[in-house]
Amino acid sequence: MFLIKKNEVLKLAQELEKSYAVYGPVVEKESGQAFLTKVDSVNDIDLNAPIPALPPKSVVFPQIEKILGYKYDRNSKNVDIKMVVVPQAKAIFGLRSCDLAGIQCLDRFFLGQEFVDDVYLLHRKQMFIVTNTCTKPFAQCFCACTDSGPSAKEGYDLNLTDIGDSYLIEVGSDKGKELCEKMGLQKSEAAHAAEKVKVVDKSLDSFEKEAVENKAWISRVMNRITTGFIKPQVWEFIGDQCFECGACSFVCPSCSCFNIEDFNKPDTAVDRMREWDSCSFEGYTRMAGDHNPRKPIEDRRNKRFFCKLSYSQSKKYLRPGCVGCGRCAWVCPGDIGLPNVVTYVRREITEREINE
Amino acid sequence: MNYKAGICNFCGTGCGHLLNVEDGKISGVFPSRNHPVSKGRLCVRGWHIHELIRTDDRLTTPLIRKNGKLESASYDEAVSFAVEKLKGIKKPSEELGFIASPRSSNEENYLFMKLARSVFKTNNVSIQSESGQRESLNVLYKGTGMAGMLGSIEEIKKAEFILVVGTDITKQNPIIGSEIHMAAMNGSTVVTICSRKSQIAKLSDIHLQCKPGSKKILLAAMAKGLIEKNLHDADFVQKYTEGFEGFANSLGSLNDGDIESLTGVSAQQIAAVVKNLSEAKTAMAFFSSGISGLDEDTISYIYNLFVVAGKIGKEGCGVNPIAGIANLQGTYDMGVAPDLLTGFQSIKDAETAKKFGKAWGADLPVENGKDVYDLLAAKKLKGLVVVDHDELIVRQQKAIDDLDFVVYFGAFNNPFTELADVVIPIGTYVESDGTFTSTDRRIQLSHRKVEPVKGIQAGWQVYSMVAAKAGAKWNYDSPAAVMAEIASLTPNYSGVKYDKFKGIGGIQWPCNDKYPQGCPRFNAGDAKGKIKFVSVSANFKGAEKNTEFPYLMMTGKAQHFWHQNNLMRRTFIPMREYNATLLLYPKGYVEISPEDAKSIQVRDKWPVKVVSPYGSMKVTVKVTPDVKSESAYVPYFIRDMISEFLMEHKELLEQGEDAIIPVRIEKV
Amino acid sequence: MSEYKVITVPEVAVIKEIKKEIEDTSTFYLEFENPEVAKNFKIKSGQFIMCTIFGAGEFAVSLPPSPENDRFHISVRAAGKVTKVLHSLQPGDKVGIRGPFGNGFPFDEIKGKNVIYVAGGIGIIPLRSSIVHVLQHRNEFGRVIVLYGARTPQDLMYNYNIDEWRKIEGVEIYTTIDSPAPGWKYEVGFVNTLVEKAKVPVDNSVAFVCGPPIMFNSVIKDLVNRGMREENIISTLERHMKCGIGKCQHCAIGRTLVCTDGPVYTYKQIKTLGEQI
Repeated sequence: MFLIKKNEVLKLAQELEKSYAVYGPVVEKESGQAFLTKVDSVNDIDLNAPIPALPPKSVVFPQIEKILGYKYDRNSKNVDIKMVVVPQAKAIFGLRSCDLAGIQCLDRFFLGQEFVDDVYLLHRKQMFIVTNTCTKPFAQCFCACTDSGPSAKEGYDLNLTDIGDSYLIEVGSDKGKELCEKMGLQKSEAAHAAEKVKVVDKSLDSFEKEAVENKAWISRVMNRITTGFIKPQVWEFIGDQCFECGACSFVCPSCSCFNIEDFNKPDTAVDRMREWDSCSFEGYTRMAGDHNPRKPIEDRRNKRFFCKLSYSQSKKYLRPGCVGCGRCAWVCPGDIGLPNVVTYVRREITEREINE
Repeated sequence: MNYKAGICNFCGTGCGHLLNVEDGKISGVFPSRNHPVSKGRLCVRGWHIHELIRTDDRLTTPLIRKNGKLESASYDEAVSFAVEKLKGIKKPSEELGFIASPRSSNEENYLFMKLARSVFKTNNVSIQSESGQRESLNVLYKGTGMAGMLGSIEEIKKAEFILVVGTDITKQNPIIGSEIHMAAMNGSTVVTICSRKSQIAKLSDIHLQCKPGSKKILLAAMAKGLIEKNLHDADFVQKYTEGFEGFANSLGSLNDGDIESLTGVSAQQIAAVVKNLSEAKTAMAFFSSGISGLDEDTISYIYNLFVVAGKIGKEGCGVNPIAGIANLQGTYDMGVAPDLLTGFQSIKDAETAKKFGKAWGADLPVENGKDVYDLLAAKKLKGLVVVDHDELIVRQQKAIDDLDFVVYFGAFNNPFTELADVVIPIGTYVESDGTFTSTDRRIQLSHRKVEPVKGIQAGWQVYSMVAAKAGAKWNYDSPAAVMAEIASLTPNYSGVKYDKFKGIGGIQWPCNDKYPQGCPRFNAGDAKGKIKFVSVSANFKGAEKNTEFPYLMMTGKAQHFWHQNNLMRRTFIPMREYNATLLLYPKGYVEISPEDAKSIQVRDKWPVKVVSPYGSMKVTVKVTPDVKSESAYVPYFIRDMISEFLMEHKELLEQGEDAIIPVRIEKV
Repeated sequence: MSEYKVITVPEVAVIKEIKKEIEDTSTFYLEFENPEVAKNFKIKSGQFIMCTIFGAGEFAVSLPPSPENDRFHISVRAAGKVTKVLHSLQPGDKVGIRGPFGNGFPFDEIKGKNVIYVAGGIGIIPLRSSIVHVLQHRNEFGRVIVLYGARTPQDLMYNYNIDEWRKIEGVEIYTTIDSPAPGWKYEVGFVNTLVEKAKVPVDNSVAFVCGPPIMFNSVIKDLVNRGMREENIISTLERHMKCGIGKCQHCAIGRTLVCTDGPVYTYKQIKTLGEQI
């Protein structure tokens, strides 16, 4: 473990910039919103910025990207297919632990299972991850309910924790170790590690006071959702409130559904684009020829939460599908983010109180 | 930092978002959490606006039709040719029409309107699509002097009682629907008046599923109930309003005994709603007008009801028409109407005309213009200028073919260009600065995000070019300068200038000396004189049906039908969702209740013939409990078959959403 | 031994011949441009490929049998946006192929058993490859019964094959249409009625069922009523697919992904998937 002074921590990012495209939390000036984005200068990185609005999957799995390009000339019957290239390896500096859990879910899903997704691999390989422990939760957080924070335990190259006037740097990989040694960083001592434990405990303790927006007793509902022993009226109640906007899937760090379309360009070239898709949409399962096996909206909501919280899906991720970031709760027009749904399922709520 | 703050350009809600600009192209969109209206939410269209903006299917060069074919030309050639032909029209005030787009920015609309009036000397300026919004504005202007929503979307959470009349708001303006839903979850009482069980009806506390065509009667009954039980806000009425007696008397001709049979709603239900409205300290009403909305009379009843209940003119209150298209409110604010100048000022007002004439350095045509669609239908026009056309021209294709000269300004490739003699490309809304006024009078500034596609100029520059070629010198160096001129001529916009837009959230007009940072709502004290009750017709007849045509068929916008237009066709996922309903019923559909399906002996997806006094059509049936027995519902303009049938009923349909066609439905 | 698969970048194939089967369904005979690919591309009956129509998009289509004595071909109905463009192509045009994906029919496990095929409409397409395989190895199996139904005689596919099969000793073919039609000399009624008529055996038997969901449910009901065990009823499921490699999740049914766990499932598995098919 190493140590770096608080006002020098961005030097790590500067060092990374030499060989990586660096992504980090930056606050956009006009809207005041934090984003995880490619930085113009490492000095823009704000490690104290709130949890970025954009989920980290946008780094490895962008909202819309080209995966293939081809040119087909119908007259000469010439076909020319080219796969895309990702020019530079990426580094994320200042990733929150819940978001790291999301990236791990995506790793296990895209790179594990039967096939390896070539395009995801292009983005993900050689990626350098520096995580940042949350010294206090934000109002929307509930990572304590999903075992994904406040400090990352594995999967990072370096983990930073703010322990007062310096950052403790835990090494998670050889790459990380090499970087620290190259920079000649000071080694930490036992006292610093003990300080980190205190910081994490304090963070967990402050959930009660700070993380007031969302609480989700996930372990209680995983069984019900896996077995499906839930009254259909509960799903109808949830489905009535769904506005079918797809936002929950778009902001979720572990959601990975996508759509592939071929976009025709003016000069007979065609771009095969991959973009985020959502199982909330009616057209998501519709087949040519009219059959739509998942048409009612409550079935789609059921499917989404099955995917997030059931045991069978969690096996693919080696952890619950939900990482406790709280994003779905604030983007949902119908107020049915995961925490609310968990409450409705747990307490079998089938209608809201009618206001007089 | 690739993400740049902006405003969504689909519907009138005006949600804030951020666009990801990578390599000069828009590659993503994300909601803006701190935006006062959208607060981090977007609907399915808003989430895919990047699909639309990044399309390559753009007009890339000006075009002139030579020997029947459109050929490339330079801006100079195309603009000169257009100006020459337009100036050649002998009687512009009768023969020349301008159709603006409700998606253009305020600056572009203003210059377009200025071009028509001061350069080409015609007042025949109209908006395409949803020009019915004018009816709402007329009512509110007559009553309060404010030609716009009286309340504010931000204050929905402060409304203890919310009335939603007719509009399927969660599908058309989802984020406003979301605000209403959140208010309901927090204790507000939400009442929906709708003949179908739309989603907002399912989320309401009370759903008055009235008979098709009877909304007006229901609203009148509610007003009558308020007054007779003395539950109206007598203090407010006495202090701030005039015309109460006239309104109260007009309600006398509504027979209490008839109400239930005319509306299908029981007296107890009405009484419960009336009690809620009266006891609530704050209340708002939402509805939409125009093609899928209410007619002026019904809107007047909503307005009068809320005046008599004392629910306008203060925080958390308002009568709120919802604009379905991004800058519809702004387009009216910019005077795109035959009889208006900016800020709802009338052309016929001598002072106003003089003010504009002086500022523009030109004499304006004195008489009100006429609606361009009417002129087209009456075959009076010789020349037509159209911007970024949306949809309605579908009906008038033959008439346009017959015109002498047609000019088209647009950003995207469009079948309309087949009808044009000159096509002049302009930039999209992310390629220049511009302000947009959303439905709650919120003027928001959208900054330029990407460079215009090579060679293409922004709209405001192109219009200036046209003016210059026609001999008028407009010296605008930027859209900010255009806004400065607008502010100088429009009392409600007088305090608006670009450097006042800090952060996100925009400025709600009136923005003047009294309200330098804008004003969220209509305040009772601001009315010039007293707030007026608007006159209503006391025609309380229900829709006519008889044994030959026992079904009342309503028309409306179907779930995913959002302006059957250019924009939707260029997206993938919203189009797929739009198709999801369409492809299940490829020949369109008519919704009927399960009881009716049983009595006609048809099942879901079976073909039926719908016969009315004016025509008939073959269509598929969709059986759903969302409509009540003896009523039917048809989505508007989904398929040619339906639109041809509906065309026969043009006069009926002009009444808007409450247009009811008595029909017979037969098994085929 | 790893199987050769084309995963992300499609391989180009040329359309050699197009044969029209019924109204909107045609068979396209394809040949890979790259001879290495043609050599290595081995298909198991029951698998599928993702076929790219350049400029239009991609769609999933089930595959023909291993080319023992049959050319590589696909039979496709013009149902959606992309398949409609396919039907406008001519011999000499090119398409892209990715695959083969999915599990195949479990031929090894059914050796020595009676094999019953129940197909409805174009459901015969994925089963045909299996029928051909079984008929080529006729003595490895017991009774072979084919029950095939469609709405009208014009909707019956592979008539030339069916006529051949009728002539083969030891193969029982029953065809049916929904309502009587002039000139039709075989059975009339829905496909599930053939189950009784053919006196389908249930011991030491395996049934392959493929067709529209309504037909599927009624046939399963009749088979189960006769005593057929659920793990001996096999079907191939269809779903909207985009990637074919288990990543986009469009094809998910409950806990399973049809493109990687399927598309061939036993009825016992289908019952436990957690969602309706």
